[in-house]
Amino acid sequence: MHVLIVEDEKSLASELEHFLTKEHYRCDVASTGNEASEKIAVNRYDFILLDLGLPDYNGLDLLREAKELEHQPAIIILTARGAVEDRIEGLSLGADDYLPKPFSLLELQVRMQAIMRRKFNVKSSVLNLHGLEIDSSARRVNFKDTEVSLTKKEFDLLHYLLLHKNRILTRLQLTEHIWGNILEDDYDSNYIDVHIKNLRKKLGAYIPSDWLETVRGVGYRLTA
Amino acid sequence: MRLQTKLTLFSAVSKVLILLLLIFLLPFLISRVALHNTDKRLLTKKEQVFDIIQRQGIDSFVGTGSDEMYGSYNLLKEEFISIEPIDTSQIDNRIENSYRDVEGEILEYRVLSLAFEVEGGTYLLEIGRSLATIRETSDTMQRYASYFLVAVVLITVFIDLAFVRILLRPLRLILRRLQRIGHPDSFRPNPLPTTTSDFVYLNNTINNMMMQIQEAFLKEKEFIGNVSHELLTPVSILQTRLENLLNDPALPEEMLEKLVESQRTLHRLKSIVHALLLISRIENEQYLRNEEVSVKSLVSDVAEEIEERLEIKRLTLDKSLTDDITWKGTYSLLFTMLFNVVNNAIKYNRPGGAITIEGRNTSNGFKLDVKDTGVGIPEEQLPNIFNRFKRLHAPDGESHGLGLPIVETVARFHKIQLSVSSEVGKGTCFSFLFPV
Repeated sequence: MHVLIVEDEKSLASELEHFLTKEHYRCDVASTGNEASEKIAVNRYDFILLDLGLPDYNGLDLLREAKELEHQPAIIILTARGAVEDRIEGLSLGADDYLPKPFSLLELQVRMQAIMRRKFNVKSSVLNLHGLEIDSSARRVNFKDTEVSLTKKEFDLLHYLLLHKNRILTRLQLTEHIWGNILEDDYDSNYIDVHIKNLRKKLGAYIPSDWLETVRGVGYRLTA
Repeated sequence: MRLQTKLTLFSAVSKVLILLLLIFLLPFLISRVALHNTDKRLLTKKEQVFDIIQRQGIDSFVGTGSDEMYGSYNLLKEEFISIEPIDTSQIDNRIENSYRDVEGEILEYRVLSLAFEVEGGTYLLEIGRSLATIRETSDTMQRYASYFLVAVVLITVFIDLAFVRILLRPLRLILRRLQRIGHPDSFRPNPLPTTTSDFVYLNNTINNMMMQIQEAFLKEKEFIGNVSHELLTPVSILQTRLENLLNDPALPEEMLEKLVESQRTLHRLKSIVHALLLISRIENEQYLRNEEVSVKSLVSDVAEEIEERLEIKRLTLDKSLTDDITWKGTYSLLFTMLFNVVNNAIKYNRPGGAITIEGRNTSNGFKLDVKDTGVGIPEEQLPNIFNRFKRLHAPDGESHGLGLPIVETVARFHKIQLSVSSEVGKGTCFSFLFPV
């Protein structure tokens, strides 16, 4: 997957590049609109991560240019402006997703995977965990022929852990994913622990309990 | 009362007062005029009599005998003339009302009495005019004058009414334009078609002020945009950097814990910025209130969202909404508003406590109460709970306390009346009134 990062803030661009490269994406960085405009005309990108607030270019113009490309790259808008009409305009111009800054890299990755599934027809939406089948489009978990009943939040949590397997996820990252759209200053990490406990209890009937490791003082890691 | 009504009423009342005054004074005035005319007529008659005496001599009136007198009445006894010889001692010249016995009938006359000397004799001339006749004339005059006055008052009141309407038309236009303004953004400056300079001045002043407000709103919007960019970009960099670091397998464990702490601190900063931006955006009217939100389903959505929190804290939620109301607004904001209040009720509740959400129609509108059985808020703190950055009953000491200011801002934005009552140790009740 070839990704173009359009971001005038150099440190942010390099963090994005670092993360995506580790996740096996091939990355290019453009820090001005002109540079980005040239790059999208020459190369064939699968993803364009687009910051709308560019110093030399109207980000929405760049979005229009990208939409005219024949191979239809997926476009995710990353912006700190976040005015309501910006969001509406970005999505109505055909961006595939919209992520207000500051965002979590893990969240970005989840969105990119969802777009890949949708846009590039990656059929396999079923993930496997020690014999558990987690169907992310039907939002169902099965063990052989039995369905494991999870609440909406438990499913989201399991899915998120699975998408980021072998990586330490802090309680805050998990909280932000589960309660993402809700503004809360003093989140209670206790809630996540309780959800994890329930999840462990429910899955414990089917798979060995070592699927999830507790990293003391930090968070959790799913090993598979 | 409208200015036009007041002006018309004032002109009508003042005219009626003048009319009453005139009607009250009219009999007196008219009788004065009538008397004055009568006196003038009597004097003219006197001159005529003297003319005749000069031409024909006094003898033609009173023969030679010294005690003979002349008297003449017209047919209906409206007027009389008499000349009689008198002694010089009786000279008495005046005009006055007096009674006369005319052929057995007592009548009141206006009488001119004048003594004069002619051909060596002294005579008294009396010319009289019946007062009944005078009064009759003056009554007629009075009646017509009254009709005329009433007509004049009516006509002028109607003319005033029409004129005031025309005169105040620009003011009505200004008022209509002001009523149409929902938001400074929707204001367009318009010239006013009038020659009244006061209204032109008023209109120009309003236009100027509205343009200034509009400009301030736009500037604030731009400012909010810039602030979000300036504040959120560094936060963004830090957040991604922390995440990359957390994923570094070479990192020692104790560093990991420090990073988690930093992430938490950064999260706090992030939510403060978000909360402030949210409040600013609402106050800058950047949200459309164009969704039909059912309060009943809003309550269900919030209840679903907090279901697990209730279980964890072993709280019970009791929903009793006997009625429902659909409110025009922004769903996400209304959700945040109710969520914050319910979440507060969870946060400050005692373990095993209860939360009650009640909704019903009242005479003032739809009332939604969120009650908890928590620690309560001391009375002296109640007026401050919606103040930004007032640290109140936050047991964790970490809360920046912007949850309730957001509730208040969203409620105000949606014209929902918010009130709170609390009893320390018993619980708190937040009430939302959706007015009819």
